[in-house]
Order: sequence, then C-alpha cells, then structure tokens
Amino acid sequence: MELSITGTNAITYPVMHVWDWRVAIYLFLGGLSGGLMTMSAINYLRSERKSGTIQSLCCWQIPLMAPILLSIGLFFLWLDLERKLHGHLFYMTFKPLSPMSWGAWIILLIYPVMILYALASLPDEIKVKIKNTFIKNTADAMAPYLSKLAKLNVVFGVLLSIYTGILLSSLVARPLWNSAILPLLFLASGMSTGTAVMIIVAKNKEAKLFFTKLDIWLIIGEILIIALMFYGHYTSNAAHQEAIMPFFNSSHDTFPYFLSIVVIGIVLPLAIILKFLEVRGQDTEKEISRFGLILMNTSALLVLLGGAVIRFALVYAGQLSGYGNYTMM
Amino acid sequence: MPRYAMVIDQSRCIGCMACVVACKRENDVPPEVYRTRVLEIVQGNFPDLTTEMRSELCNHCDHAPCVTICPTGASHYEEDGTVQVDIDKCVGCKACIAACPYNVRYINEEHGYVDKCSFCQHRLKEGKKPACVATCVGGSRIFGDLDDPKSEVSVILRKTSHRVLKKSIGTRPNVYYINQYPKKA
Repeated sequence: MELSITGTNAITYPVMHVWDWRVAIYLFLGGLSGGLMTMSAINYLRSERKSGTIQSLCCWQIPLMAPILLSIGLFFLWLDLERKLHGHLFYMTFKPLSPMSWGAWIILLIYPVMILYALASLPDEIKVKIKNTFIKNTADAMAPYLSKLAKLNVVFGVLLSIYTGILLSSLVARPLWNSAILPLLFLASGMSTGTAVMIIVAKNKEAKLFFTKLDIWLIIGEILIIALMFYGHYTSNAAHQEAIMPFFNSSHDTFPYFLSIVVIGIVLPLAIILKFLEVRGQDTEKEISRFGLILMNTSALLVLLGGAVIRFALVYAGQLSGYGNYTMM
Repeated sequence: MPRYAMVIDQSRCIGCMACVVACKRENDVPPEVYRTRVLEIVQGNFPDLTTEMRSELCNHCDHAPCVTICPTGASHYEEDGTVQVDIDKCVGCKACIAACPYNVRYINEEHGYVDKCSFCQHRLKEGKKPACVATCVGGSRIFGDLDDPKSEVSVILRKTSHRVLKKSIGTRPNVYYINQYPKKA
C-alpha cells in the first residue's frame, strides 16, 4: 500500500506525540506521593493499634515529602501546558465527565489534607525549631487529630494514585491506555513506590521489615496486573492487539519499548527476590546487618526504577496506538 | 436551529488540494499545520491497483471525546451541532488532541491554544458555505443542514449508502462518506 497525505500535522503524523517526559514524571511523582500518603498513614495507624498511642514508628519526614513531591510533579505538568499563564481556567468550571477536571479539583482537596497531616505529625523536637508562629500553632492544633488525618490520608493517597491512571484510561482513541486495568496498575505501582521510599527513609528495623513484607505483595500484585493488562489487550480487538506490539517487537523503531518490558521483567522480580532475602532470618536478629541494609535499599531503588519505567513506557507507547491511523475507514 | 453535516463524495475528488489551500487561507491557519487533509491511498498489486482519495477534517461528532475530556469547557458543542473551541478558555493541556480518534486537532504554536476545523462558522453566520466546500472544483464536498429534509445532504444520506470514519468507536460523526452521487446510469 502506498499512502500520501497532503495536510498532515507533525503533532499527529505519523503517530501522535503530545505528551512527553514531563507528563510521565508527573504521573510517577503523583503516584509516588499518593503511595507515601497512604503508607505513612498506615505506619501511624499501626502504632495506634499496637500501643494505643499514635506515634511514628519510623519517620516524620515522609508526610512532608508527599506534598513536596506532588508539587514537583505538578510543576512538570504545568511545564507541559501550552498556555502556562491560563492555568487558573481549570478552576473556572467543573466538568463532571472530564478526568482532567477531576484532577484539578482533587488536588485542591488533597493538598489541605496532606499538609495538615504533615504538620500534625511533626514531633515536638522539630516543632520547637519552627519560627513561624502560624505554622507552629497550626501544627499544635492539628496534633490531636493525627489519627483522623492519617485515616483520611489512606483514602486520599489511594485516590491520588488511582487518578493518575484514570486520566489516561479514559481516552478511547488510544487503545493502549483505554483499559480499566490501567488505573489499578498505577495504583499498585504508586503504593509500591511509596512503600519503597518508606523502606529507604525508615530508621526503625520493625518498620523496615513490615514495609518490605508489604512491598512483596504489592509487587506481586503489580506483576499480575501488568500480565493481565497485556493479556486483556491481546484478546481484544485489532487496535488493542497492535497497541501492545511495541513491547514485543525488538526492531529498531520499537526497541525502547521492548527494552522497557525487559527492564520491568527483570527489575520487579529481582526486587521481590532481594526482599525475600532481607526478610529471611531478620526476625531473630537485633539489628539489620549492613548487608541486609544494602539489599533493602537496592530492592527499594529497583522498585522506584520499575515504577518510573512503567510510567514512561506507557505514556510514550500509548501515543503510538490508535484506531487504524490514516489508513482505515 | 440547523444541524450541520458534511458529505464527501470520494468519487468526485480529483486530489487538487484546493480545499486544503482554501481552508488555510480562509482561517489564517499557521504554515506548519492544517485543519483538513487529503489522503491518497493506493492499494493492490501492480497493475491491479485501486486508489482512494479521502478528505478528512474534524467530524464534529455528536458524542465527541474531545468535548468530554476538556477540563475547562473550551471544546464545546454549539447549538448547530458543531464542535467548537473557545480559544479564550483553552489552557493547552492537549488532552483533546490525545482524545480525538481522528487526529484532526493541532496546537497553534504562536498562541498556544488548540485549534481545528470549525466548519468555517464565521462563514455559516453570513449564510455562506465552508471555504473548502465553496472551492471544491469536483463537487466532492457537500454541506448542509440535516434538520432540513430538502437540503442536499439530507437527500443524499436518504438515498445513498454512506459510511462514517471509525464508526465502531461510537463518536457519531457528522462527516459522511459516499461513493458516487447521483449514480451513473
């Protein structure tokens, strides 16, 4: 077949490319900060269940990291806007069927929850160092509500992580994204990367081991969801079948996608194996050995790498997919 | 209120590209982008070849994914059934470009907003036909009001078998494709 087209736009021909690394970074950091919200809140709620008093079993920094990482992600999303000074228009209307619109408004709901939670979780020794009285007073006022804020953060963290996938999955024109399982993949990946950061930052051995065990299940879930996503596309119509082909074709054009699936295929199972090695025998030892720490941090970094690769691969490959671009009726 | 639609008779297209040029001239479309395009698809094994000429543009869908996804209401339905972009409301998030199965939207690089075929709405308000229709020398592009049973598009769609692009996606386009009208004896 020979095809010549007069009047093509470079942005859509021969394949669409409207969203780049900036959107991929936003999706990664959005998922990660959702994971941090949920996991750090679980950390507090565990302590409450165990000892009756709510206290950090590892680290007060995590609740602070969540809004910072989300802000960095949103900054990259803002960089992707073609009309950066018109950003306020997101808040001039609410479109109930537009996931983009939900996203803009959800952010407004999530920020207060995550910031108040971060302030409530500040330990006394940090609070005395704060010079701004407003922040200090707010932190003091929020401290009694830490338990309730933590519970809210579990829910909002899940919402934030899953939302990043809903945005892409709602686009019928891009078969690779147009799958209801994509939000679940982003949720599992967001939670898993959040857990990985918890493991790296946590000082307490018990917390490190708890989140390591939790991450094993999250990664297994993530691998299952990835397999199901590909299977779902493979058994769907021709456009969906074609959409996943870049991941299974090692030719020059699609090599980055092929490489991404190879990396994910190595990184996530390797992270699980390392985590099993960490967990084994650690219950009997008082402190985590130096070797154990290296294993933990390496596997956590692998999980973060896997999460980033998933976002980048899906953002770019999704734009290659379409319904018979330019040739079919 | 009218309900505008376009019928494209592929048998009448001679591939002169006058529609592409007229559109750019009429709508002041930047040099590097287009609102309409003409595909020339040659298929088969030599010498048994067939050629399809296909003009494509925004389908002004009744169930437009671009309108659904638009977070600010910039992409919207007009009462005349067309899909329009309110450029003052556009933030340039490009979600509508990703959402369009027909790949007919583009970014106006100079101003940053998304743009596309408007069926030459400014001309419709003056009682004129879209520029591509007015200039089509082969009479391939036919434009009219679906709510008027006597309009040319209504008559053609009643009497001729027609199809739309990517029907299975469910966008309910308002650009129809036919082959030969009226039928040759």
